[in-house]
Amino acid sequence: MISVRDLTYAYPLTPTAALWNVTFDVPAGQFCALVGANQSGKSTLCYALSGFIPHFYHGTLSGEVSVAGLDVPATPLAQLAGTVGLVFQNPFNQITGARMTVRGEAAFGLENMGVPRSEMLVRADETLALVGLSGLADRSPMQLSGGQQQRLALASMIVMRPQVLILDEPTSQLDPIGTKEVFAALARLVASGGATVILVEHKLEWVAEFADRVIALAGGQLVADGPPREVLNAPEVVASGVGQTRYARAAALARARGLVQPDAALPVTLNQASEFFAPRSLDEYIP
Amino acid sequence: MTSSFSLYAPRDSGYHRLHPLTKLAISGAILIGGLGLGGTWPAFAVFVLIVVPLALWSRALRSLLRAIWPIALPFAISLFLIRGFIWPGGTPILTLGPVSLKAEGIEFALAAVGRIVAMVSAFLLLSLTTPPDALMLALTERGFPPMIAYIVLTTIQIVPRFQARAATILDAQRSRGLETEGSLPRRLRALLPLVVPLILSSIVDIEERAIALEARAFSRVGVKTSLLTLNDTSIQRVARWLILAVPLILIALRFALEIAA
Amino acid sequence: MNISLDGVSFAYPSGVMALLEVSLEIASGEAVAIIGENGAGKTTLARHLNGLLKPATGGVAIGEWDTRRVSVAKLAARVGYVFQNPDDQLFERTVAAEVGFGPRNLGIPLADAAHAVHNALRRVGLAEQADQHPYDLHISQRKLVALAAALAMNTPIVVLDEPTTGQDAGGVELVGQIVDELKAERRTVIAITHDIDFCAEHFERVVVMAEGRILADGPAARTLSQVEALAQAEVEPPQMIRLARALGMDHAPLTVEEFVDDFAARSAARSESGPKVHGLSGSTPNDSSVSRADSTSGPE
Repeated sequence: MISVRDLTYAYPLTPTAALWNVTFDVPAGQFCALVGANQSGKSTLCYALSGFIPHFYHGTLSGEVSVAGLDVPATPLAQLAGTVGLVFQNPFNQITGARMTVRGEAAFGLENMGVPRSEMLVRADETLALVGLSGLADRSPMQLSGGQQQRLALASMIVMRPQVLILDEPTSQLDPIGTKEVFAALARLVASGGATVILVEHKLEWVAEFADRVIALAGGQLVADGPPREVLNAPEVVASGVGQTRYARAAALARARGLVQPDAALPVTLNQASEFFAPRSLDEYIP
Repeated sequence: MTSSFSLYAPRDSGYHRLHPLTKLAISGAILIGGLGLGGTWPAFAVFVLIVVPLALWSRALRSLLRAIWPIALPFAISLFLIRGFIWPGGTPILTLGPVSLKAEGIEFALAAVGRIVAMVSAFLLLSLTTPPDALMLALTERGFPPMIAYIVLTTIQIVPRFQARAATILDAQRSRGLETEGSLPRRLRALLPLVVPLILSSIVDIEERAIALEARAFSRVGVKTSLLTLNDTSIQRVARWLILAVPLILIALRFALEIAA
Repeated sequence: MNISLDGVSFAYPSGVMALLEVSLEIASGEAVAIIGENGAGKTTLARHLNGLLKPATGGVAIGEWDTRRVSVAKLAARVGYVFQNPDDQLFERTVAAEVGFGPRNLGIPLADAAHAVHNALRRVGLAEQADQHPYDLHISQRKLVALAAALAMNTPIVVLDEPTTGQDAGGVELVGQIVDELKAERRTVIAITHDIDFCAEHFERVVVMAEGRILADGPAARTLSQVEALAQAEVEPPQMIRLARALGMDHAPLTVEEFVDDFAARSAARSESGPKVHGLSGSTPNDSSVSRADSTSGPE
């Protein structure tokens, strides 16, 4: 679904590359998380996958970016819009304000794509149900809370049925409830086989919970790529400023103090940590 | 949360159900008639004979009067006082010591207030009964540039947020010791820390909004559809032109009569 | 400098009652975190601390000053308030000028102000960027500029509104470090935060709010274990407490180190009460036959 080869990119008037020789493939239907310290190139990569680099931000790009069979740098944004969806941090800036109701806002993209009205109604209501905003469909988008607005932004993208959905720190400005609501909506989307998802997140416990795979960036380069438990505990990733889940930190400390097996894999979720620290029955230890 | 700038008040009325362009034509006719018919009384006649019945029909009379009052009254008072008392020559109808109220001044003030009332009521009649998105759709269906329609709708909904942000910036700078009261130089110095963040953060926002808009295929070339539907009838389609023609004809008649006299 | 809220009630012009008879005493040098969902009244309460909002009933005292009688600008000498969005305040052409704005307003002599600016920038790790335009920096760095701007004012009380949002791991650690430094300097630190783990690791006292009222107020370990209060405030307990609970431990560890200590103590207690087993109580197992089925990785 996504194929990136030797992607190197520098913003205009900037000598240093924001992305350097990035190469990876993402199969259809995968939930792929993108982690990295701030300014490691995560947002840049999101823009490169959705076409805003180079079409909106210009700059110098080399390498290949292909999404759903489209050559992204060669395809105009208007054409990419229905194939790649982008949700970013600020909930309010993603409410276009072009329509006066939540339902209208959600369907705005479909109007631009010329979708017949009857179909629009069905898809809009379906998608609002998916993100849990059905009860607010006739409300003004400006009256929603931050978390609700972010779910509306998400719905506005999902309704266009993109094959790839990119989310750049979607919960950064939300409270824990808003965060949970957005992730629940994402989970429902992925469960229904809705899209290939690329999620940029700092909240590692959420990444560990949801992602099938984690790609780590540092200084514009790809430094790790694999299952969450592996990547989130890889020393080079932790050292690059991504940090580590507290579960893993506790486990590493316990390991260092000889309280647990030295070769046990570090946990990244609550369940894994519970298993890791669970009191062992005597049978396991008696030689 | 902040509400938008829209004055629209939904009501169950036949007037509300008219096509936006019909309501636009009616308000246009009121405006043309109120401004163009001249004299002292025609504007008020338009108000009483046309606006009030329509406002009653649309169940928006109270909102209309409540909105006109704070606009018309200050104008009326200042116009009557200034023009009434300061009129070179003229026919005094009331004398208070050295100053006197002149009939011509009163007439002038009445005519001016009449025009103001006509203008404002034309605008209000449209705004109170027509959702902005319906009006914009009606216009874009007939070739109005979608970009301008988008800007109108977005502005209506976003400006209150802008105001809220300005208030937050004020709070943030006060929290850093900025004095906003006192001497004029001090208040002028306080402008920069209040205005610059507003502008800079708006620029950042504009960029993100542009991206969001692109992501919704706004710049896609091709037929666009609409979730909203507007009901139109052939009667209304014809009536709109007739409605606009009436004040024009009356104005033409008025000029003809004046020339003949 | 003590802070005292006494029966404070406040309603916004829209009619929403944001605070209902809230009383709170914060002693000089305390580190307090205020948690609760959006709309609970946290920001409303914080805005009373520097006079941005005046109570409708009750009173707020900063030291001996009644906030209703002192302007916000004057209260800024005692309470440094760091807003959540740095872009709501940045307007100067250089980072140094921006950080110096507060000290200038407070009438601090130029030399002392320059010193304060330099110190503040050093603490947030932006000393090298002093001459850059704030908007040339990443948003997370701009947040640190806003923090430095408040630090440079050297106020006895510092209020932080969501200091860790948008920060990466390094940024969160830096902010935590600064909180610890402020505590060491005996300055009062009050933070509104959604990051419950950050709250647990740096704040001795936690106030839980919901619907304009204080549901719980006390030492972090105790408050963050009060499941009902947290649930009512729509807040999840910190990860280490959740883990301890999942393992049936009755402690409330606030940090990773505390958890491991608790775990060690429990393991030691178990091994003392039962037969001696390998691999526990600090000894490194070297028996290769001692194996453990590895938990499979993957999302739950």
